[in-house]
Amino acid sequence: MITSFTIATERHEPSEPPRSVAGVEVRGLDFSYGPARTGEVPRPVLAGVSLSLEPGELVALVGPNGCGKSTLLRLVAGLLRPAAGSIAIGDRPVDGPDPRVGLVFQAPRLLPWRSVLDNVAFPLELAGWARSARYERARELLLLVGMNGSEGERPHQLSGGMRQRAAIARALVLEPSVLLLDEPFSALDALTRDRLNLELQDLWRVTGSSTLLVTHSIPEAVFLADRVLVMSPRPGRIVAEVPIRLPRPRALDQLDAAIVSESAAAVRMHLEAEVAA
Amino acid sequence: MRLRSDRFQTGWIVAAAVLFVLLWQAIVIVGNFRPFVLPPPGSVGARFVQAWTDGTMERHVPTTLSEIVLGFGAGAALGVIVGYVLARSRFAERLLSPYIVAAQATPVLAIAPLLALWFGTGLLSKVIICSLIVFFPIAVATMVGIRSVDADLLEMCRAFRARPAQVLSKVEIPGALPSILGGFRVGVTLAVIGAIVGEWAGGEQGLGVLINLARGSLFDTPLLFATLATIALIGVALYAAIALLERRLVGARG
Amino acid sequence: MNTNARIPFLATLAVAVLVVALLVVGRGGGSGPSASPSPSASSASSSASGSKSPVGSSSPSGSVALTKLSVGLGFIPSVQFAQFYLAQRAGYYRDAGLNVTFQNKIDPDLIALVGQGALDIGIADGTSIIPAVSQNIPVRYIATVYAQFPNVVYAKASSGIKTAADLRGRKLGTPGKYGSSWIMLQALLGSAGLKTSDVDIQLYPDFGQGAALQQGAVDAATGFVNNEPVQLQLSGTTATILRVDSIVPLPGNGLITSTDSLAAKHDALKGFVAATLRAENDIIADPQKGLDAAVAAVPDLGKDKATQMAILNATIETWQSDYTKVNGLGAIDRDAWTKSITFMSGLPDKPVARAVTVDELVSEELLAK
Repeated sequence: MITSFTIATERHEPSEPPRSVAGVEVRGLDFSYGPARTGEVPRPVLAGVSLSLEPGELVALVGPNGCGKSTLLRLVAGLLRPAAGSIAIGDRPVDGPDPRVGLVFQAPRLLPWRSVLDNVAFPLELAGWARSARYERARELLLLVGMNGSEGERPHQLSGGMRQRAAIARALVLEPSVLLLDEPFSALDALTRDRLNLELQDLWRVTGSSTLLVTHSIPEAVFLADRVLVMSPRPGRIVAEVPIRLPRPRALDQLDAAIVSESAAAVRMHLEAEVAA
Repeated sequence: MRLRSDRFQTGWIVAAAVLFVLLWQAIVIVGNFRPFVLPPPGSVGARFVQAWTDGTMERHVPTTLSEIVLGFGAGAALGVIVGYVLARSRFAERLLSPYIVAAQATPVLAIAPLLALWFGTGLLSKVIICSLIVFFPIAVATMVGIRSVDADLLEMCRAFRARPAQVLSKVEIPGALPSILGGFRVGVTLAVIGAIVGEWAGGEQGLGVLINLARGSLFDTPLLFATLATIALIGVALYAAIALLERRLVGARG
Repeated sequence: MNTNARIPFLATLAVAVLVVALLVVGRGGGSGPSASPSPSASSASSSASGSKSPVGSSSPSGSVALTKLSVGLGFIPSVQFAQFYLAQRAGYYRDAGLNVTFQNKIDPDLIALVGQGALDIGIADGTSIIPAVSQNIPVRYIATVYAQFPNVVYAKASSGIKTAADLRGRKLGTPGKYGSSWIMLQALLGSAGLKTSDVDIQLYPDFGQGAALQQGAVDAATGFVNNEPVQLQLSGTTATILRVDSIVPLPGNGLITSTDSLAAKHDALKGFVAATLRAENDIIADPQKGLDAAVAAVPDLGKDKATQMAILNATIETWQSDYTKVNGLGAIDRDAWTKSITFMSGLPDKPVARAVTVDELVSEELLAK
């Protein structure tokens, strides 16, 4: 008893007490690039974006190139500040890089001089976890993404899919309430991409995090999401919402099902309407 | 395969060294050079061994070596700090660059006597000369290295709420390390020159003093060459040490 | 694997080829060092010939070709070389069938350049000739210029320093712990039972010890009897001069040549020595002649003639000693050389690499009897 108590305080694991899964509420978000001090004319990127994620919901965001999808993700993560509007996770606003958010980028962004284990443990190290505790936690995550055995490898020794698995493990290591994914599989080959989509669905079910996925791929969006949001070209805003009523767990062979085709067609229609406009 | 390749290379390296010595000897014979103009490799080798066994090098090498190590250490530390500031502040770069470049363009040979005048002819003035000469390439290498650190990695750090000190120690320095160590490689050979120039500007011991002694007092050309060989060996050894450090620190990266 | 292995090999080869090329170029150009600018050389010879008669390079008799001799003087053109300038200006060299050119070189380099044959004649002192010959540099000392050893220790009279023994514990400035000043200092201190560690030695590698003495940063300094102490006296301060001659008669600066030249250019060298000593005698009789010749050769010296005259007077004094008064200017004191060999052989730096005899060091065959 005494031992477990000691360990618990030393590790201050976020799982004790169990965290509550929170939703995301975005209201009337404006954002422009081109800061006033350079005298540039501001280029509006987002204009009045509103969206909400129910706790534990998986929402995909699609839109044409340069519509501000990634910008929207960075705003939710607290990496950028909106010109107007509000962002809240649960009942608390986001006002800077937020510990309740786990972020996965398009490129894995692993530190090339560190082992996989040290990369996954990186956020814990920054948060001041003791070495043994953070390695234990990082190993759990590597097991979760199916990378046990690769702890000692360097990023350059891994395949692209493996690197992105490690990046996802790193994003989940602090047990975030919200997982944000910025086109995470766009650089991977089709087969790897399909497998990672399956694994992501499993991970999402295990962790229960509210998840916002930015993607270019309509099939990916339809396969993974509870809802697909469609954005307009710049300045971006949400122009359509397509609910995907497909039972879970979803399997890859279901991608040929009629309901998937219909949903995908609906998304594509909204998207094409926006691009043509 | 690896072993065979190593042995193969060693063979060539030894052959090249033998060729170098033979060429040297051939030049002495063909040019009919007197030993006080160009001593043959044999007499330089013998003088080298003698100087290392009769206490001559024992008296001068530690002095020069400590000047190099201290001077390089101080110059490298300052170079890394200033290089970082230059990389991260455009204003600092615009403010300081002209002075730093001007200082670098001023020949050390010309400043050395002044430094000897201001700081004496002891260890301090030589450490300062070494630091000055080492500073520039390391500052520039650090600046380039820090600027080349992937901005995406810095954003990743921010996303995981890294404090500035953590970003510096865990990402910026390791990321810039290959470039910084490249600066170290250049710097350490320059430090050797700095120490010798510093000793020429006045000193009681050291290999630079021994050069003056061999040239101006003893008229011992083989000793002059043996001293030059010792200086070259120190340079090669320090360079190899940095290269080894480099291999240990950044060798495992892709 | 193959290409990797070749890199060091090719690099070494390239370095070797470069070394060969440099050496060949250095030799082809008539020894690298002489290519360096020698400011006074051309001006000295041209102004000298111009002031006398416009003969230029043609011989006075019109048919006999002049023998070329290159002479290396000290690094800075100075009134201390007045006898050479006068012999040039008065035509003594030309009368001897010589076409003499002067080059200014750093002292220790002069010996190697003369030994190598890059210069026919140079100026060097005994404390350099002894180690050089012991290292088998083939040079001979053929005529004495400074019959008294010119390197001295001097101090302000007000310092209370009167003898070498008074230097104990005092601050003494010197350029470095090598060369003739250092050997002189060891001899001087040794005479008072002192070692160099008994004196607080301050190094002035840029030869700033004279200024340091004037400002009071040191109590005593090494210098040339015809330079720093003279400047101190001219500034109105009485100087005490500690000479080494009475302790160990170290041979001062004289003319040197190579053993090869001694055989091959015997007559020309003999003519040069005679012409130079003739000019020395002229200047002893009338120092103004020496000053005029020096100013003509090196116009900068004309800016402060009083100082230059004082330096010249001190130089003239140094040319002469009790020995030269009996044996004539330029005479070589073999006894002093023998004593110097003994003294230098015992020095801690071991400057004498092997036993040498006076006959290996000096040659009196060019001096007129």
